Amino acid sequence: MSSVTDTLPTRPTRSKMSDEGFISSLVAAVAISLFLIASLLVPNFFQWQNVVNLVTNNWAVIALGVGVSFLLVSGNFDLSVGGIVALSGVLSVWFAQSTEGANALSTGLGLPYGLAIACALLGALAIGALNALFVVRFGIPSIIVTLGTMMVARGIAQVITHGSQRNTNLPEAFGYLGNLSVFGTSIKFPVVLMGLLLVVAIFVERKMVFGRITYWIGANPEAATLSGIDRARHITKLYLFSAGIAGVVGILLASEYKSGFSNRGLLMEFDALVIALLGGVAIAGGFGSVIGMFFGAIILAVVTSAATGLVLSPDWQFILKAVAVFLAIVTQTWALARRNK
Amino acid sequence: MSSQSKTAELSVTSGAANFLRNYYIYFVLVAVVALLSLANLDQFALFERGNFLNKRNIINILRVSAPILVVAGAFTLLMVSGYIDLSIGSTMGLTAVIYAMLAINGMPFVPAFLLTMLAGAVLGAINGILVVRLNITPVIATLITLSLFKGIALLLVQDGVSAIKSGGGLKMPAWFNDYGRDGVFLKLPAAFWVAVAVTLVLIVVQNRGKLGKYAAATGGNPTAAKLSGINTGRTVFLLYVIVGVAAALAGIARSSFMSLGDPLSGDGMELTAILVVLLGGTAFSGGEGRVLRSFVGALIIMALTVGMLTIVPAYYQTLVIGAALLTAAATNHLVSQKGKVS
Repeated sequence: MSSVTDTLPTRPTRSKMSDEGFISSLVAAVAISLFLIASLLVPNFFQWQNVVNLVTNNWAVIALGVGVSFLLVSGNFDLSVGGIVALSGVLSVWFAQSTEGANALSTGLGLPYGLAIACALLGALAIGALNALFVVRFGIPSIIVTLGTMMVARGIAQVITHGSQRNTNLPEAFGYLGNLSVFGTSIKFPVVLMGLLLVVAIFVERKMVFGRITYWIGANPEAATLSGIDRARHITKLYLFSAGIAGVVGILLASEYKSGFSNRGLLMEFDALVIALLGGVAIAGGFGSVIGMFFGAIILAVVTSAATGLVLSPDWQFILKAVAVFLAIVTQTWALARRNK
Repeated sequence: MSSQSKTAELSVTSGAANFLRNYYIYFVLVAVVALLSLANLDQFALFERGNFLNKRNIINILRVSAPILVVAGAFTLLMVSGYIDLSIGSTMGLTAVIYAMLAINGMPFVPAFLLTMLAGAVLGAINGILVVRLNITPVIATLITLSLFKGIALLLVQDGVSAIKSGGGLKMPAWFNDYGRDGVFLKLPAAFWVAVAVTLVLIVVQNRGKLGKYAAATGGNPTAAKLSGINTGRTVFLLYVIVGVAAALAGIARSSFMSLGDPLSGDGMELTAILVVLLGGTAFSGGEGRVLRSFVGALIIMALTVGMLTIVPAYYQTLVIGAALLTAAATNHLVSQKGKVS
């Protein structure tokens, strides 16, 4: 037991990487090595375009992962994002569709596109507010609340689309945002937006009071409250923030496909949770980083696209996801325990 | 419920609160059935099944309810102990596939039935090991197995077909339907009576058995439970195995009812189970909940969903279940608050 007193004073003087930095580097290293292994096994995998695709094909899930990670760090789940993606997409289509349609599914409210997406975003934020109301005011566990709001959001989308989709009678401008290419490259506007979101999120997480309070709340809710942090207010903001991101993702996806489909974003909430967990975000709160989450997404993308490249049946993806999350959690727990021994 | 009787002595108002807490679920059931019966279904004429309260309709509802009824009790005990299993839908899908595969390859009813139950126990044990031995948070551990079991179930069904069913030289045996459909008593199938029997056994376990007491103690205060010599790890492990077996029974019931082994047949079951258990007044944090009330909760949800189908189009279902889940969670919260105020 004497070693405890010996090592304690030396600790702060050593400039040591934080545990989060350690886990993020670990995740990044795993992501890169998995990519290299996949390059050896799968023909045509080692290409620059493929690296770009790994990121651009997953912009939606990565963007959702930002909001979900912040909430997880604060000790709360958000499983409603997939439902919100469907809801905001369907709402934006419904609001923008012209009023003279041949049948119920081609008749909308005929709002101008700008107003339509603003209202759709409000719809998304309403679900976020609902999450906050139930979690913060009623103190109901977030996993149950957000499972419920996920179904409510998707349920509203299904009612509006009669369980299928709306894609007719849309204004010209509707497909613009989702298909806009920037800088004359194949990279689309939503991907750029996702990149910006990542940068801002990393800055907020590292350098701003808002981000640090999030960690504090997750690490020790009681202490946070006692030191004057308005926990309810902060978690409300986080839910609105996450729902807002999901709303924008839904609107952009609807614009990309020029349709509002009530099953869009199905299981996206689980993928967003999975990449956060792969990236080392702790479910108990107070630990994790957006960079880790990003590399978690890369791991998932490499594993699933390598499996597709090896012509495994698509049914394998469920097993691969399960194994990846299991290994990630076990190794991260083990590595942290070893490091802080 | 000694704590309840103690509060009842303290003040008069808490008597009403307790009454509300203990019996509101039956009022909800009566109210739902009454409302659905009052709705003149001929007016909507979507399915032309006539009145809600006719014999055929009731038999039909109870028949399709067998899977959730058989799961509700075991799930309640698990939640009472403060744990959760999100994988029951996948367990159900996987066991449905296993059962159908055994049957279609010529195994008789009894061994196929027992083997599938064993498979359910193994799947439950995997959850138990992840949670108890490897100490992974229950939500995450069972999310992992949700994905894993679903993947295995999908892989067991060959590419190009959506489920295990007659075709390609193999034929589902004639008895396959009987368990889920053939009326054995009061025109209700064996699957329903198995669900009733399982629930009765679990009620006895909860009221008289050690496991029930241990579960409540683990959920109420894990540290105190451990300190008083309860092996909480073994209790939780056993409960996961029981939930796995119950999910297997649900898988068999569903598979037999639909006469195919559909790997996705249990999708959403975890949500329904959570909804039913919450509706029955089980505390999310553990420590409190009754098997019987969850059974009634399951009846309410099935009456509601089947009843709704005759009134509104199917695409309202997700919204209704989601709203019911939120309402149940809020009511559950308010009712338990009322009990606490006194």
